Amino acid sequence: MDFEVTYTPEQETFRAEVRGWLSENIPADLTQPVDPADLTLEQYHKLRELGRRLGAKGWLYPTYPKAYGGGDLAVDFVIILEEELDRYGLHLPPYYDSGGRLGGASIFVWGTEAQKQHFLPPIFRGEWRTWQLLSEPNAGSDLAGVQTRAVRDGDSYVVNGQKTYIGSLYGCEMMWTIVVTDPEAPRHHNLGWLMIPYDLPGIDVRPMELLTAGGEGGASPGLKHTIFFDNLRVPAFNLVGGENNGWQVATTHLELEHGGGGIVRRNRIVDQFLEYCTTTKHNGVTLSHDPNVREDMVDIYIRSEINRLFGLRTYWLSHAHQPRSYEGPQGSYYRKVTALEMAETMLRALGPYAMTNDPQWGPLQGLLEHYQRAAVVGLHPGGTTDIQKVVMSRRIGIGRTAQEQAGRLR
Amino acid sequence: MDLGLTEAQEILKTAAADFVRQEYDKDTLIALENTPTGITLELFRQAADLGWLGILIPESYGGTDRSLTDTAVLFEELGRGPVLGPHFSSSVLGTLVVLLGGTEAQKQELLTGVAQGTTVLSVAVTEPQYGWLPDTVHMPASRQGDHYILNGAKLFVHDAQAATHLLCAARTALPGSDPGSGITFFVVEANSPGIEIRTLPGWMSQMDEIRFDNARVPAANVLGDTPGNGWDILEAASMGAIPILCAYQVGSCQAVVDMSVAYSRTRHQFSQPIGRFQRVQDHIIGAVNHLDAARWTTYEALWKLDSGRDARSSVHLAKAVTSEASLKVCAGGHEVHAGVGVMREYGLTLHTQRSRTLYHFLGDARYHRRRLADALGW
Ligand SMILES: Cc1cc2nc3c(=O)[nH]c(=O)nc-3n(C[C@H](O)[C@H](O)[C@H](O)COP(=O)(O)OP(=O)(O)OC[C@H]3O[C@@H](n4cnc5c(N)ncnc54)[C@H](O)[C@@H]3O)c2cc1C
Ligand SMILES: Cc1cc2nc3c(=O)[nH]c(=O)nc-3n(C[C@H](O)[C@H](O)[C@H](O)COP(=O)(O)OP(=O)(O)OC[C@H]3O[C@@H](n4cnc5c(N)ncnc54)[C@H](O)[C@@H]3O)c2cc1C
Repeated sequence: MDFEVTYTPEQETFRAEVRGWLSENIPADLTQPVDPADLTLEQYHKLRELGRRLGAKGWLYPTYPKAYGGGDLAVDFVIILEEELDRYGLHLPPYYDSGGRLGGASIFVWGTEAQKQHFLPPIFRGEWRTWQLLSEPNAGSDLAGVQTRAVRDGDSYVVNGQKTYIGSLYGCEMMWTIVVTDPEAPRHHNLGWLMIPYDLPGIDVRPMELLTAGGEGGASPGLKHTIFFDNLRVPAFNLVGGENNGWQVATTHLELEHGGGGIVRRNRIVDQFLEYCTTTKHNGVTLSHDPNVREDMVDIYIRSEINRLFGLRTYWLSHAHQPRSYEGPQGSYYRKVTALEMAETMLRALGPYAMTNDPQWGPLQGLLEHYQRAAVVGLHPGGTTDIQKVVMSRRIGIGRTAQEQAGRLR
Repeated sequence: MDLGLTEAQEILKTAAADFVRQEYDKDTLIALENTPTGITLELFRQAADLGWLGILIPESYGGTDRSLTDTAVLFEELGRGPVLGPHFSSSVLGTLVVLLGGTEAQKQELLTGVAQGTTVLSVAVTEPQYGWLPDTVHMPASRQGDHYILNGAKLFVHDAQAATHLLCAARTALPGSDPGSGITFFVVEANSPGIEIRTLPGWMSQMDEIRFDNARVPAANVLGDTPGNGWDILEAASMGAIPILCAYQVGSCQAVVDMSVAYSRTRHQFSQPIGRFQRVQDHIIGAVNHLDAARWTTYEALWKLDSGRDARSSVHLAKAVTSEASLKVCAGGHEVHAGVGVMREYGLTLHTQRSRTLYHFLGDARYHRRRLADALGW
């Protein structure tokens, strides 16, 4: 076993190249708000521009083939990219985008060659940012129970229905969604997976007011919407994976959303909280020297180390193409429940300061206040804790002999 | 033994429940959440007319002089809303501080107004070095002729924006061997010169910062006759106030459990009510256990207080249990509701916010666990 990533001279050369490139291409005035809801349009455009530049080099979605706009890079090179971006507090992609990581992966696995040629390059080059449209008012955990209808009419599908908890600030270029293509067919064999351009007529996008939007992992969206389709016409070409095969296509991104891809980066909020405690005095005593706070810090540290190792383990499994089972949903489950527990522990450790983003009194410019909200909200995106347990149980084979397989990623 | 409510308490409970249901619908509460005072004058006046603002105040000062348990019954219903605003700060904590520490004239003047709703009290103790031990009170009050001069800041004060009068703890003497000595409560008119009150931003409501810049307070406004015994007054007042704060949180927990049970019946996934899933049942059962733990520790403490028994250990037990219960019940509520529960318009997040902003008020769980051990003589 070797937990350390060791770099070859070739990789160190790559790191130098990345570092130089980033210092030239990341705008000096790029700032990221503490509360993602405060992202300005100007800053958003800067992030998109950075995405397009990364994309042009094949570094936005670097593991995918160059032919589709990726970089053909091996994992160790990707880790270097992520590490270097992390120095700026950024990761890949640098803005909220469900496209490459989830939707793109599904098209890559299930699309026809023509569909891959059409959809993947703009996504992987950062020209299109995409939203995922799965949940509906009556279909959350029961994703297979969606009701949005797509009826074939000549070369198009005519779509009617409603999706909820969707998207981010400042729109997108493309949306991917699960729709009913055959209401008569049995469950799981009645669905289609459809790419929908954002600018078509018949789409109504209305903002939702949540405690905060986010918690999906990756860049936070900052805002969620309810979307209505009213006789929207979508080219039939945009149905990926064929008629009534939508559930199969979905298993790919569901697997990823359940943490199947793993995570290598550290939890910045935990790191900043711990550093805050070691550098801040309360009533004349450094917080980390207060026995109670010390205990809380250790508690948080232990949880975050377990999270880190679960993420690392799954990352290795997925990138070294090892067999996977329950590990993805386990990481997702553990991350969700520990986030809430860590937020509660921070509240105990710091007192009411943890609840304010006041410029003077809010620790870390209000980062912890936002974390209090985000930890509650983050229980739900990508499947509730209960659903993660359902999936884990099936994978482990609890109460059943036939173990369910993890979704295909490649 | 009889663990039921008295007839009078049942009547009060029903009246309070009806009032909260009718006047404090979800939309009203959500609209009030981020206002400086958390109330409207109209609603506050109605509470005065119902006798609720003077519920702990003796009849001689215009109150209805009910027991602590009666008051808790009312606050449990307010907590269900959760009704915001200075009800607790003024009619419970502030009232008890004045009752236990004030001169006859001060009681007459302040409490009559509190009962009528024309005077609103807010108790300002905590400072930038937040905590509920006396050694966290540093703000100096220096004597100049027949005035005291206050300088400094009070932080995370509940309901200062709504208050006409602040009951402000300040140091008239350095602590001696007893860190609680030398603290004095001042009755400070909230709009007097040199005082600035600001609502703090964030996931909290009606929590304020107060800045004192050479604020002059007449010496006659020292609460009581003698300066220096403020901490004893606060300790004594807290004994009665804490279980009522707990009762408010019990009401909030009960509301979250009720919402969750109702949702478990009406929300369908996989063609069945989500309440059929054992995982959903587990979330609710966990919440019910926390709720009941909070409820019974709280009401036993109240019974001990009302019947003149030594209640110290029970009060600390109740606050230690209830602070934590509140966090856990809300977590359970969020698990059950998933997406809809984090929509502001649904109302669950009001309770979640309260579970966190009341967590430290008058001492957090850890503080009360330690005090509990002391009270048990360990
Ligand atoms: C901030 C945020 C961002 C989101 N982003 C997106 C997005 O970008 N795109 C998108 O499509 N959706 C998104 N969602 C929606 C999210 O996927 C759903 O909220 C989630 O899947 C749960 O669905 P629900 O809210 O309808 O809860 P429900 O499914 O109604 O769940 C209610 C309760 O029932 C339980 N339950 C349901 N079924 C079972 C079962 N079989 N076994 C045990 N317990 C069960 C749940 O665990 C939960 O406790 C987002 C949600 C949030 C809060
Ligand atoms: C956001 C999201 C992500 C998902 N990710 C994946 C994924 O990565 N891979 C994948 O294969 N699937 C995934 N799913 C699908 C998920 O596994 C299923 O929705 C869920 O497990 C139910 O499966 P089903 O649709 O086959 O329902 P059915 O097979 O029809 O089963 C009905 C449900 O009843 C539940 N149930 C029955 N009896 C009980 C009981 N006594 N107590 C508790 N629950 C009970 C079962 O657990 C099951 O969930 C995802 C779903 C969502 C909403």
